[in-house]
Amino acid sequence: MAAAGGKTYSFKVVLLGEGCVGKTSLVLRYCENKFNDKHITTLQASFLTKKLNITGKRVNLAIWDTAGQERFHALGPIYYRDSNGAILVYDVTDEDSFQKVKNWVKELRKMLGNEICLCIVGNKIDLEKERHVSVEEAEGYAESVGAKHYHTSAKLNKGIEELFLDLCKRMMETAQLEERSRGNGASNSSTGRRGVQIVDDEPQAAVPAGGCCTSG
Amino acid sequence: MIRRRRETAMDLRLYWKKLKTFWKTLSLQRQMMENLIIAKARQDALQRKMEERRLRLQEEANRRFATCGTMTPEEQEQRVLYASVLEYEQDHEWPKIWKAKLKKSPNDPALVSGLIACLLSYPDHPVMKLLKRLQYRPSRSAHSLLLSDCPISPHHQQSPFKSALTHSLSDASISLSPSRDLNANDTKSEADPDDSSSLLTTDRENSFEDLEKFLTQLDWVPSHSGDDDDTDPDVTFESQIHDLEERALKEHLKAIVKDIHNAIDRLLSLCLLSFECLNTANSKDQCVASMEEVFFTPIWRPLLALFRKVHGEREQAVESSMHLYHHVSPGDVGVASKLFPRDLAVLHGSYPYESAVQELKLLCREYCPQKKLECIVRTLRIICGCAEDYRLLQENDPPPRSAAIGADDLLPILAFVALRSEMPQLVSECAALEEFIHEGYLIGEEGYCLTSLQSALTYVESMLPSGAPPPAPKPT
Repeated sequence: MAAAGGKTYSFKVVLLGEGCVGKTSLVLRYCENKFNDKHITTLQASFLTKKLNITGKRVNLAIWDTAGQERFHALGPIYYRDSNGAILVYDVTDEDSFQKVKNWVKELRKMLGNEICLCIVGNKIDLEKERHVSVEEAEGYAESVGAKHYHTSAKLNKGIEELFLDLCKRMMETAQLEERSRGNGASNSSTGRRGVQIVDDEPQAAVPAGGCCTSG
Repeated sequence: MIRRRRETAMDLRLYWKKLKTFWKTLSLQRQMMENLIIAKARQDALQRKMEERRLRLQEEANRRFATCGTMTPEEQEQRVLYASVLEYEQDHEWPKIWKAKLKKSPNDPALVSGLIACLLSYPDHPVMKLLKRLQYRPSRSAHSLLLSDCPISPHHQQSPFKSALTHSLSDASISLSPSRDLNANDTKSEADPDDSSSLLTTDRENSFEDLEKFLTQLDWVPSHSGDDDDTDPDVTFESQIHDLEERALKEHLKAIVKDIHNAIDRLLSLCLLSFECLNTANSKDQCVASMEEVFFTPIWRPLLALFRKVHGEREQAVESSMHLYHHVSPGDVGVASKLFPRDLAVLHGSYPYESAVQELKLLCREYCPQKKLECIVRTLRIICGCAEDYRLLQENDPPPRSAAIGADDLLPILAFVALRSEMPQLVSECAALEEFIHEGYLIGEEGYCLTSLQSALTYVESMLPSGAPPPAPKPT
């Protein structure tokens, strides 16, 4: 547990996707898996947190679920702001849900530029036979917009751990790059409202938003 | 003869006696004078000593801050404040006692809160004096921007600011039509005299600056200057004035918000200077929380009133929605049918999610941002709890884990709860909370809940027939 780097990264990740693509199951799988079932937050699957230790650095993830319904789309931007990463989920058997992902990508890039790490996730690969979005198309599209593509199955618990681990590593790289370009020292206090919060290591540093992985 | 001699002798004795008393008084007076002089000298010496001590403490304070060569006014202020803290500590025992206690067990939360409570109970401590001073400013500028206690109607909304603006206008020797100016004076005299005077003194420069900025942007000024007898009410002019007011009001609000952030930062740093033992992550959080509570409690009302003025139009839209859709069923706003009971009899006379509505209503009773955020978090938690219960009512077997409430379910329910709360001021409360939520909480549960409530309110606002189409559950 002892982190050598002495820093804790706090990242915000938004979860986007149409109603029935399985984004809730996906994130629940991820946050429940290592711990027991009772660790769901009091906000259930809407807001989840997870603590990780990656290459000696501590990472706190806050995963924000967003409403997929069309009528709530106008409200998206206030959810995305200050996000470090976005997971855009579609259902591989549903072409329409992939189109929706494309819309979100456009919006996210417009709002947050290239600083946000995008993951496009084809879920329900257990239904391979009914696939309607081809692997080539999806991966090609992801590459064209600077996103990474993943295949998952929440049902079979496939590819989820890898997805989040990879995303965290990318967000850490982005944060480190930003830190360097800003120059050390200048990064404290005056950062205003930035998504990345790097907390200096203190014994039992207070993490305001609740303790362990999924507690709230 | 003998009698006479005796008389003279008696006179003599009398004179002697008188002389003696006189002498006595004289010496007494001299002694008193001396005493006075001594006292004066002592007082001078004491004063000199006090002054010396003050200087010494100031030097000590200076040494503490002597890390960099140039000093900003803030640093200078902090030095002075720190010196006054040192002075206070020489005269009072309690800070030393608490410091000693905390040194023994530095991370004891009970001790930390004890110290903070103690500090808050000493109004003459420099931290508390600073708090009072800093508190005064935003509350006064908020007060001055508000007309006593008017509700948010667009007509009232204009008046106080218009008077300020018109006054600045006349000060800038750009003569507008005199009738307008008179009106402005009328509205002013209707207002609390105290308010209006502070409005002029404190906000004249600001609105004046704003105005100057706007004047350069707008080209109506030259045509109107010197055009005194133009009595026709100019519609575009009116709307421009309205725009000006709105923009200036927003600017003012921004400035006040910034002021408050600064004030809290300054308070915290002085607090940590006074009690270094509080400078750990946990204690600092506790310290900020207590300071904020004391700071915000008296100023929240005027502050919120200002936010309401700025968000008046949105509030009106939300109010109409609440009025129109007050009694809709959860299903009408898109709540999944499995998440509310179809048979309302099981609710024993209440309506779905009533406990969440009741919790949300408590929000307006709090006067501290942190407490309000906690109230919102509780509301969302209750919603999740209710949703779980309602689902269990319908499905007898335990629901699969993957069926936990996500944002897809949460937002429609939250919109329903917001509708039933019938509190349009939630729009402004949320806007204010967004300004004052701690950065650390922004991406946490508090931030999520606040964002969700704001989204739900935006949705409620868009439900109006003139706006977006009425809610229609999207088949998914």
